[in-house]
Amino acid sequence: MSAALAAGVEVLGREAMYLDEQRWDEWLALYTEDCEFWMPAWKADGTPTADPQSELSHIYYANRKGLEDRIVRIRSGKSPASSPMPRTAHLLGAILPLDPPSPERMRLRSTWVCHVFFPRQGDSHAFFGSSEHEIVLRGGNWRIAKKKILLQNDAIPTMLDIYCV
Amino acid sequence: MDLKDISLYVDDRPAEGVFRVHRDVYADPELFELEQKFIFERTWNFLGLESQLPKANDFVTAHIGRTPVLVARDTKGGLGAFVNVCRHKGAVVCRAEAGNAKYHVCPYHGWAYDASGRNVDIKDRKSGCYSPAFDAEDHDLLPLARVARYKGLVFGSLSAEVPALEEFLGDMRFFLDLMMEQGPRGMEYIPGRAVYTYRGNWKLQLDNGLDPYHLTSTHLSYIDIQSRRRAGLGNVEARQFDWAMRESKEGGSFGFPHGHSVYWLDQPEPEKRPIFPAIPEIRARLSDRHAEWMLKARNTEIFPNMQIADAITLMLRTFHPVAVDRTEMRSYCLAPVGEAPELRAWRLRQFEDFFNPGGMATPDDTIVYAECQSGLAAQPMTFLQGHSRGIAAAMQGGNDVAEALGIRPTVSVKGGFTMFNEVAFHAPYREWARLIQAGVAGGKAYP
Repeated sequence: MSAALAAGVEVLGREAMYLDEQRWDEWLALYTEDCEFWMPAWKADGTPTADPQSELSHIYYANRKGLEDRIVRIRSGKSPASSPMPRTAHLLGAILPLDPPSPERMRLRSTWVCHVFFPRQGDSHAFFGSSEHEIVLRGGNWRIAKKKILLQNDAIPTMLDIYCV
Repeated sequence: MDLKDISLYVDDRPAEGVFRVHRDVYADPELFELEQKFIFERTWNFLGLESQLPKANDFVTAHIGRTPVLVARDTKGGLGAFVNVCRHKGAVVCRAEAGNAKYHVCPYHGWAYDASGRNVDIKDRKSGCYSPAFDAEDHDLLPLARVARYKGLVFGSLSAEVPALEEFLGDMRFFLDLMMEQGPRGMEYIPGRAVYTYRGNWKLQLDNGLDPYHLTSTHLSYIDIQSRRRAGLGNVEARQFDWAMRESKEGGSFGFPHGHSVYWLDQPEPEKRPIFPAIPEIRARLSDRHAEWMLKARNTEIFPNMQIADAITLMLRTFHPVAVDRTEMRSYCLAPVGEAPELRAWRLRQFEDFFNPGGMATPDDTIVYAECQSGLAAQPMTFLQGHSRGIAAAMQGGNDVAEALGIRPTVSVKGGFTMFNEVAFHAPYREWARLIQAGVAGGKAYP
């Protein structure tokens, strides 16, 4: 594994850890301010939506501010869905480098499972799917410039948030 | 409790200022069965949009209560709706949510039906040694008793004994027009939808969709986010209106016969709506009144299985009651056909910010429904106190707003936003009680 690829794999691992440990500031800092964060919805024909500007997404943000809103809500203590906070465990696998869009970026494809435990209900759900990260070197650190999340089990039990995927 | 005395479930005494709903209405599995039989299976249900089926052989699937339904456009351009169940062994025939198919072939023994529901093949029929009695039977998909359309909305009924659709919708049609006439070429679902379940009775969503009272508590975190956005922080591209400005606004509700209800409010910052640039066109095509009312917030319940909310961006959701304590929802972003790309993107960002299981408001609602469902098992509880706000301001019949609109509701309320009236729930529960009572008594749903 090249040093760059190892650094990219580490970014993915850190993202999972920060979400599971609710280290929200460190999670946000992994993203560039102009990052794109996109989780397409699925269409009635059984395919995911392909264009966030003309089709529905579960989440689409054209920059990091949308992610910051999420963290404000989670931390507010005023969101019934986020308090008590569900507990999560992200499992990542099959991390593969894809053709980079430009020499200073890398693109990684991963498969993930996220187990979410809902303390109020006393039960768990496993969301799963795959992600594509574009990672760039900014100020000496590798950061996420783009993330596309394909949620495969799209019949959602009650809720879905950034920490569930 | 005695099912023959419906007032034990819905205690409705307008002259005394009393409207109470018993917790069993949400929690009793026997009542859930009766709802299937005497409500969903004996009235009109929303099935889909006509714009989902523009071409011959286009289809969508839906449910009426627990009955799987197939809606299809036949080769002559007609719209048919059928029980989506094979006549042979009872398997669901069409297993896709939507698409185009000349034939629908059962996955089990291969019986095939065309888009008009006609059986076109019983596999190996000739060698099957069927009796003449079998040959004499009809083998087509069972058609729904009634199918009808209103302004692009397709409804179906398993019972033939329902009023004409226009009569069923009554003056609620004005509010449907405000949704379905926003675009000069009609309305469509933006591709993509959300399917989610919650652990609660279907009527918890019915209530929530007509309930502004919860906004300032359940969605406090969202209100905080709006405050930050006013300071330029956070995702301002979602272009949400300023919730604080609502407090000084006037609103109200109307209840209609057959269980339909609408909650309305003079919405602040109408320029944040994607429909705003189209207002001159709407005024010219329809009327000043339509344009004015399309800019108000309107949350509607089309009893029993559909709601359209238009507080900022149009959303349509359907309920599929799976069990007394479990509901499957589908939600769609509704938009004018041919909308300009920049307006569509604007609409999507607003919609996703608030709605759906991945939005920042819907999950706070659905998680609370589960808390309600747990709480509704509390034995010492009888009647809830959740249908009483605004009763002292309620007028039976129409008020001045209704008169100006030329509509005849059965109950009207008008007042400040913070009245948060709960009278909007009365029409659906009155109809609920009427239909259950008629069924239990062995009477017709619509005598």
